[in-house]
Amino acid sequence: MYPNPSTVEALEDAALLAEVQGRSLWADARTRFFRNKAAVVSLVVLALIALFALFGQFLTQYERDTVDFALMGANAHKGAPSFETGHYFGTDNSGRDLFARVVQGTGISLMVGIVGAMVAVIVGTLYGAVAGYFGGRIDNIMMRIVDVLMSIPFMFVLILMLVIFGRSIFMLFLGIGLISWLDMARIARGQTLTIKNKEFVEVAHATGVHPMKIILRHIVPNLLGIVIVYATLLVPSMIIFESFISFLGLGVQEPNTSLGALISEGAGSMQYGTLWQLIFPLIFFVLTIFSFFFVGDGLRDALDPKDR
Amino acid sequence: MLSFIARRLSVAIPTLLILVVLSFVLMYSAPGGPFNSERPLPPQVLANIEAKYGLDQPFWKQIVNYVWSVTTQFDFGPSFQYKDRTVNDVIAQGFPVTLTYGFWSFVVAVVVGVSLGIAAAIKQNSWLDYLAVGISVGAQVLPNFVMAPLLTLGLTLGWFWMTGAALLPGGGWEGGVIVAACAEKDNFCFGLPWGGAWRFDYLIMPVIALSTSYMASIARITRSSMLEVLNTNFIRTAKAKGLPMGRVIRKHALKPTMLPVLSYLGPAFVGMITGSVIIDVFFSTGGIGQFFVNSAFNRDYSVIMGITILVGALTMFFNLVVDILYAWIDPKIRY
Amino acid sequence: MTFSHKMMASTAALLIASSSTVWADGHATHPETGETLATDQTFTYRDLDESPSIDPGVAEDSAGGDILRDLFEGLYNQAADGSLEPGVALSHTVSDDNLVYTFTLRDNAKWSDGSPVTAGDFEYAWKRAASPELASPYSWYIELMAIENAAAVIAGEMDPSEMGVTAIDDTTLEVRLSQPLPYFDQMVTHFTTFPVPEAVIAEHGAEWTKPGNMVSNGAYVLTEHVPQEKLVRERNEMYWDNANTIIDKTTSLVINDENVALTRYLAGELDRTDVPAGQFPALQAEYPDQAVSVPLACSYYYTVNMTDTTNPALLDPKVRQALSLAVNRDVVVEAVLAGGQKPAYTFTHWATAGFETPDTPIAGMSQEERDAKAKELMAEAGYGPDNPLSVNLIYNTSEAHKSVAIAITQMWKQTLGVETELANQEWQTFLETRGNQDYELARAGWCADYNEASTFLDLMQSESGYNDAKYVNARVDELLAEAKTSDNPQAAYTEVEQIISAEVPIIPIYHYAAVKMFAENLEGWPLENFQQNWYSKDLYKVAE
Repeated sequence: MYPNPSTVEALEDAALLAEVQGRSLWADARTRFFRNKAAVVSLVVLALIALFALFGQFLTQYERDTVDFALMGANAHKGAPSFETGHYFGTDNSGRDLFARVVQGTGISLMVGIVGAMVAVIVGTLYGAVAGYFGGRIDNIMMRIVDVLMSIPFMFVLILMLVIFGRSIFMLFLGIGLISWLDMARIARGQTLTIKNKEFVEVAHATGVHPMKIILRHIVPNLLGIVIVYATLLVPSMIIFESFISFLGLGVQEPNTSLGALISEGAGSMQYGTLWQLIFPLIFFVLTIFSFFFVGDGLRDALDPKDR
Repeated sequence: MLSFIARRLSVAIPTLLILVVLSFVLMYSAPGGPFNSERPLPPQVLANIEAKYGLDQPFWKQIVNYVWSVTTQFDFGPSFQYKDRTVNDVIAQGFPVTLTYGFWSFVVAVVVGVSLGIAAAIKQNSWLDYLAVGISVGAQVLPNFVMAPLLTLGLTLGWFWMTGAALLPGGGWEGGVIVAACAEKDNFCFGLPWGGAWRFDYLIMPVIALSTSYMASIARITRSSMLEVLNTNFIRTAKAKGLPMGRVIRKHALKPTMLPVLSYLGPAFVGMITGSVIIDVFFSTGGIGQFFVNSAFNRDYSVIMGITILVGALTMFFNLVVDILYAWIDPKIRY
Repeated sequence: MTFSHKMMASTAALLIASSSTVWADGHATHPETGETLATDQTFTYRDLDESPSIDPGVAEDSAGGDILRDLFEGLYNQAADGSLEPGVALSHTVSDDNLVYTFTLRDNAKWSDGSPVTAGDFEYAWKRAASPELASPYSWYIELMAIENAAAVIAGEMDPSEMGVTAIDDTTLEVRLSQPLPYFDQMVTHFTTFPVPEAVIAEHGAEWTKPGNMVSNGAYVLTEHVPQEKLVRERNEMYWDNANTIIDKTTSLVINDENVALTRYLAGELDRTDVPAGQFPALQAEYPDQAVSVPLACSYYYTVNMTDTTNPALLDPKVRQALSLAVNRDVVVEAVLAGGQKPAYTFTHWATAGFETPDTPIAGMSQEERDAKAKELMAEAGYGPDNPLSVNLIYNTSEAHKSVAIAITQMWKQTLGVETELANQEWQTFLETRGNQDYELARAGWCADYNEASTFLDLMQSESGYNDAKYVNARVDELLAEAKTSDNPQAAYTEVEQIISAEVPIIPIYHYAAVKMFAENLEGWPLENFQQNWYSKDLYKVAE
């Protein structure tokens, strides 16, 4: 049965209206977001951390890879944080300035977390939404592919990738992101299965809107809440994941470092009285995660159209 | 529903086959081999070893032989690295260990995580919410490899109460939760009325270290999902009708809330019962995670394959379980 | 031979000493020292990783060796100082041409099932270890022992029955060599030469090493084995010297993380563990009776790729010398490792038996002189601030290797302005990269197979499979061949070391030390033993 012309017209009007409304929707969201104090504070903290990562190097006289041979070995008492020596955060086990290393580690961790999570979220959401929307055989095949990929040991894939394509930070991002989209895909699919039975999707479908358009226009925006929450979960776990990779010897190469690598080094020596090696990177780590969490939460509340 | 399950199971076998071939190819393209070591073996010795393990045969033949012995005899072959053992031995020894602490971690993570998440959602923006959020973020902030040594220092070396007496053993595995009797030095061991004893001192630290980050994720997903559900019209209607909050939650909100959580639980469960390298490294439990990492680094092809197939089969099984639960919770989902 | 007489005498003395000790009461005393023994005689120690095998013919790592020396007993044992002690063999004679060794075995040695240990068990074990059917990764050891036809047997060209080892009767074992080997008797303390029970292997096949199946002839029997977790061995009542064995039960726990292992040691769960790099001074200050550092037969060095796949700059001997000179080894051993290691200016470990560390120009200089000389050489080679050299260095994943690499590359940077790109690779990738000469500079380590300088220097032979530098020097080859048959090889070794020091195919960095924590009441550890070969039967715990 063909929809009668007047209905189509009405729907087109509605779509237009939705577009106009769409813009104001985002504006509303922005207003709501800025009303959320925790989220705003976190955003500021995140910005400060980003600034620290970008420009922190100018605050110290030391390079991240310069070893202070005078402090090596006598680390537990001479390497402690001090304004006198200029090692604000103390030195690491190799006698390098921890402040400079935390600056650099924060930068790399932020990059790994954000780029990795972005890759995972974009690929995963689209994939999951497509699978869930089309359902049937397509869904079946797509989700079996996810199953197969999930059953492949991720570490092995990463070893291979890093060996075959060489060790670059970019490969690491891509590798981590591409491996972590699988969970996102399953979650997105699960949500899509419920959303696609909703009236507005069924109407769009009935009026012959192109399926990809339905997915991008109607399904994905409705997934945003859960996607954003998941992304905020993903950023810190990406950072931890990266450090696990570093721990296995496949991560960032010396003299570069990451927060995760610094924390695992610090954790290894915490029983030897050099607690600052754990505390400083951990503080930045905690701040980053807390901030991502509150920002993500703020965004969720702001974007949730049902909350009006 | 039954036909759906049958269909899914019929896909499982070819999926596993694809998995086998894919990991076989991946593995053989990695640099190094199972018998490389700091001292390269004389070529003749290496040839003897490769002949013994069938590595001198053409690649396709190795795959065919492997698939044949796995499917017909359920034999995953000998381990290349642990030369006294077969892959079946390795799995039979390591998997029950991982399963035990993985299962208890799962129970803890789900119970605590879901309760925290729901409590936080119901009392949104109250002190309870902040506390729950704080706990779950805190749990996620401390990575496994910080938590594990911290627990050992605190509970084994007694840093947490400064007395220096060990409350828990620093690692090891005692074979199971039910033991014949308690030893005098065991804390957390309780005699059972029908004989034997329930001992879980060596389980506590692995379970805490493994469950916390999953627990945090579950709590957060539950909270956001619950908030979303509480804002839907039917819950609003239910509330407007004056139904008591507890009843609304139990009868109406819980099921839809669990949908995204369930999606997460499938992989999380498989993750917990299989891939806990850090737990095995720090608590010397002898679980499957340690075997897997070691064999990946030592190119112990047969053990990697065996564990990969095990993990693959488990993943598929639990995904199926999740899908069935999905259909049960939301009958509108069509297959 | 005087050697065998001395051994007979010492055994006799031991037997007399032990017969006078009363064990029954709780206040037992040590038969020789008279110390009061603790009632609890169990020894628990940390192993880094699960051993690939505990079958003597197949085993390949030193941790597995520790276990096997408890479970089995070879022809000879090592005494605390590394000298030979009678094991199953009481003595041996050597033919005039030094090619035939005849071992006389004790008649009271028994397997744990009560059957006697015979010369035939050794013959079977050695032939088994070499056979292509077993395909042991350590079969090369039998070849290294220069046993007649061993190489051909391993190559599958001859039947194992033609190998030069024969049981003349139950207590006489004859070994025929293809060439004289001055240290042959030293080699029979190694686990590859331990006897194995033929009947048990025939009955259980590959399963014979599992607890319950395994029958062994050492001071202990295997009672529990959980891979990646623990291995327990308990007193073997059938062992011929059981009366003198004091430790009742030895447990090795696999603990991957050294910091966790130290925590568990401090909590009293372990009697021995390793000291993490850099922590020795602090631990020694806090636990002076427990932290111990002794020389260990390994050398740590950086190998330079000398093939044409390398960085062309490294083909210039001046550059290599400059790099070697600029390494401040004192800082590496004192500040980075701080565990009693010694700076290395030669490849051969300073404590190797019969080896005298030769004088080399670099060893005689102060670090300031070395740095000045290094700068000079770099300038001569055409590198300086305007034309800085950059190289890359690979090492395998490990905190300690990383710390050493960071320190050394910084020395190069700060002294010579050399930029180094560090690449940390996981083990298998590392081996492949290094073995294929796909590197410029690479970390390497070598541990002695036996206590003689050639175990190190043979790596410098052009044809050696372990010569990852692919260093070729005809004079070195000639000298090493000469040393094999020479009565006094020291002169040859000195010249080889001097050539290496001048041409720098490798940059020696330090000589290892074993850095351990030992429980205060644990006695009898063979600290003097250069290879750290220890036997639980020699240990004991004193009452506190």
